[in-house]
Amino acid sequence: MSTSHRHRTTRRLAATAVSVLAAVSLAACGSGGSSGSGAGSGTSAAGGAQDGKPVPGGRLKIAFWSDFQSCIDPNQVYWIESRSVDRNVADSLTDQDPKTGKIVPWLATSWTVNPDATSYTFNLRKDVTFSDGTKFDATAVKTAYDGLHDLGAKSTLGVTYLAGYKATTVVDPYTVKVDFATPNAAFLQATSTTTTAILSPATYKETPEARCAGKIIGSGEFTLDSYSAGKSVKLTKRTGYAWPSSLIANKGDAYLDGIDVSYIGEDSVRVGSLTNGTIDIAWPRQPITSADQQVIKASGATIETRALPGISGVLFPNVSAGRPLADLQVRKALYKALDLSSYAKTVYWDGYPVAKSPLTSTTPYVADESAKLAHDPAGAGKLLDAAGWKLGSDGFRQKDGKKLTLTYINTAPSPGDQLVQDQLKKVGIDFQIKILTAAQLTPTGNAGSYDLSPGYLTRADPSVLGSSADQAVSKQYTAKFSQDPATATKVSELFAKGLSTADPDKRGAAYQDLQDYLIDNGVAFPLYDRLQTAGVSAKVHGFAWTSESFLRANDIWLAK
Amino acid sequence: MPRYLAGRVAQALLVLWAAYTVTFVILNVLPSDPISLQLEASGSDISQLTAAQVHDLKAHYGLDDPLLVQYFHHLWGALHLDFGMSLTQNVSAGSLITDRLPSTLLLSAAAVVIMMVLGTSIAFLATYVQWRPARMLLARLPAVGVSLPQFFVGLLLIQVFSFSLTWLPATGTHGWRSLVLPAITLALPGSAMLAQLLTRSLSDTWREPYIVTARAKGLSRWTIQVRHALRNASLPALTLLGVVVAYTVVNSVVVEVVFSRNGIGQLAQQAVLSQDVPVVQAIVLIAAALFVAVSLLVDLLYSLLDPRVARAGRAA
Repeated sequence: MSTSHRHRTTRRLAATAVSVLAAVSLAACGSGGSSGSGAGSGTSAAGGAQDGKPVPGGRLKIAFWSDFQSCIDPNQVYWIESRSVDRNVADSLTDQDPKTGKIVPWLATSWTVNPDATSYTFNLRKDVTFSDGTKFDATAVKTAYDGLHDLGAKSTLGVTYLAGYKATTVVDPYTVKVDFATPNAAFLQATSTTTTAILSPATYKETPEARCAGKIIGSGEFTLDSYSAGKSVKLTKRTGYAWPSSLIANKGDAYLDGIDVSYIGEDSVRVGSLTNGTIDIAWPRQPITSADQQVIKASGATIETRALPGISGVLFPNVSAGRPLADLQVRKALYKALDLSSYAKTVYWDGYPVAKSPLTSTTPYVADESAKLAHDPAGAGKLLDAAGWKLGSDGFRQKDGKKLTLTYINTAPSPGDQLVQDQLKKVGIDFQIKILTAAQLTPTGNAGSYDLSPGYLTRADPSVLGSSADQAVSKQYTAKFSQDPATATKVSELFAKGLSTADPDKRGAAYQDLQDYLIDNGVAFPLYDRLQTAGVSAKVHGFAWTSESFLRANDIWLAK
Repeated sequence: MPRYLAGRVAQALLVLWAAYTVTFVILNVLPSDPISLQLEASGSDISQLTAAQVHDLKAHYGLDDPLLVQYFHHLWGALHLDFGMSLTQNVSAGSLITDRLPSTLLLSAAAVVIMMVLGTSIAFLATYVQWRPARMLLARLPAVGVSLPQFFVGLLLIQVFSFSLTWLPATGTHGWRSLVLPAITLALPGSAMLAQLLTRSLSDTWREPYIVTARAKGLSRWTIQVRHALRNASLPALTLLGVVVAYTVVNSVVVEVVFSRNGIGQLAQQAVLSQDVPVVQAIVLIAAALFVAVSLLVDLLYSLLDPRVARAGRAA
């Protein structure tokens, strides 16, 4: 496991907050390096030219598991798999280094942020065109950001990324200023995502539905040939591409002629298709099981792994009065009762990273809370005894004739939930798993008829936690029921602090305090780190992850 | 005959209306708010929106009207094959259906052909062959076919024919080759049922007095089986076939998931889980229409195959 988490608190010499220049902007997040650390990174060399001279030609065949959202517009999709495709079709103003979390230039060459993070000015590249021939300039950026903002709730990620958006102003043909009514320090990271990708002005004349169905024009190294929802995506190489971000080795056209995406729902069929050579990359949502990994490795293919940045697999409590988890001591006992390292080992595999925080290991500003999350069943028993929950003859604890039952809601049974049930039973807690349809989950949650509910979300910025846990910005039941009013005030204060300054050191300190506070007050129970895995055929070279653990195909080439 | 037909069509329309209404009631009785469902599906929550935005969304999907108004509005739309916008995907339910229905219908058609060929052959052989062990084996075969779970058969076929022998593709919807394995998987339970029923009724037919007459006339076993027994025995099988044809469409969900075919079955599963009312409505209506159409067709075929039915109809 990595020692790099320790670096998180490193007092980096960041530039003064007044004018944060390009390369230094998000420097304080040394944790990002875990793409290799503990994530059990695959053996195939990532990063293009390292393993032999790239050969141009060939089409890369990828199979994802599902296309549930059935939308390909980068501005509108939240579906991870579509965002992986979009990353290779549309470019953004900035890029984020997956190793350090640092924001680096892409379509913008440099930028400045005002101290309270309400105004961003970007200087743009002058040599970029969209695939329809239109020139990329300040007006194009304004059209794109206004267009994204106009989507409103249709772009569920855009709504948070542009929180407080006031206006984009064209300063001169290649300088653009984005203003916010309220501080939004996470916006710089947002400019590196596919959600804020800049599409050709012509795209924004199409209806949102048409864009979803594939009427999108980007400036990426591939163009979108065809998109058939849930069935296939076809990308073709764009000749004359010359503006990749500084993170990419290949400065020119993509090596691949194109990319063919298909969707295979069955794990065994997807794995079989990889090992028999029908596809080159098998990319499921759930981590590839260790049994399947062996099958894949035996065929000569490799497993690529990287933790998805964002919220870990967590449980949010319901602390409403009268419920068992209203008592902080019971919540503290819960931390001690959960055995996170055996969770990682049993549900996934030996060597799978153990959860250390409500944020995953690749999220900038992640803190190491593992000392507070240590497994201590005896300690849990003592806390529960002191809280008045005495062990009954049936092995479960009771208080005033009531059994210590925690109701957990989810949409599908999972081995992890069963393991938690088992772990909690050992300290006398009755963990009841209630399976609901996706449609029933929200009403049940909103009614507060549960004690624990699951959550996770992907974004390479710690502010993402606010969407599930900050009552000031989120009315989700996970936020509403996980804190009493006093705790909620403090939590919101810490979230606001993290968003109100562009200074990486100050942001880092705020998010450290926030994570400490969330654990100390039993607001979130981390269960597992979230790994994105992909089975990659031996003939694929130059496989690379983006900072959000999406696919980056610029450097990929196929051995003949 | 025209009066009979008109009656049957009216009956069919009544069934369709009932199916539509019952689905509408059930889906709207379930405790959930379509707007928050939709936001949930897009990884967000209703708190991100202002009251005005929520109101706009509701107006956009026609959810701010009273339920009865919504019902007639949707019913009127459905009559024009306009099922409204999908709640979880940014397209109309109708376009989702037209996009996916062809692949499912093709699969069903292929499965029905296989079902008829396989079912009839087994039944035919089981009653025609005179060697006892073969007769026994063929007669027991359908029981095995019915009890094999479809996902298991599908995965097994993929392992053998796609991954080991690499004869046929495991996934996709390109060309007839990708249709073979899913169609066989889909056809198996139906052909087993068909074989079982046909075997029974063929054996019964062989005991009929007119068969004895035919034998006495010196006709060969083959001629009797083909000319006399099969025609008479096929009537109950035809009824079953009607049910089974519609059932292939309904049952396509498992096969479509296993073979990664993007059809109505997959759509139905998603739509039900996410309570995407317009899409579920449209699918239910289409499935009902198919049931109704096939059973109507079967009834009409009856009179062609069996003069007794036609004559009874005329007398009435």
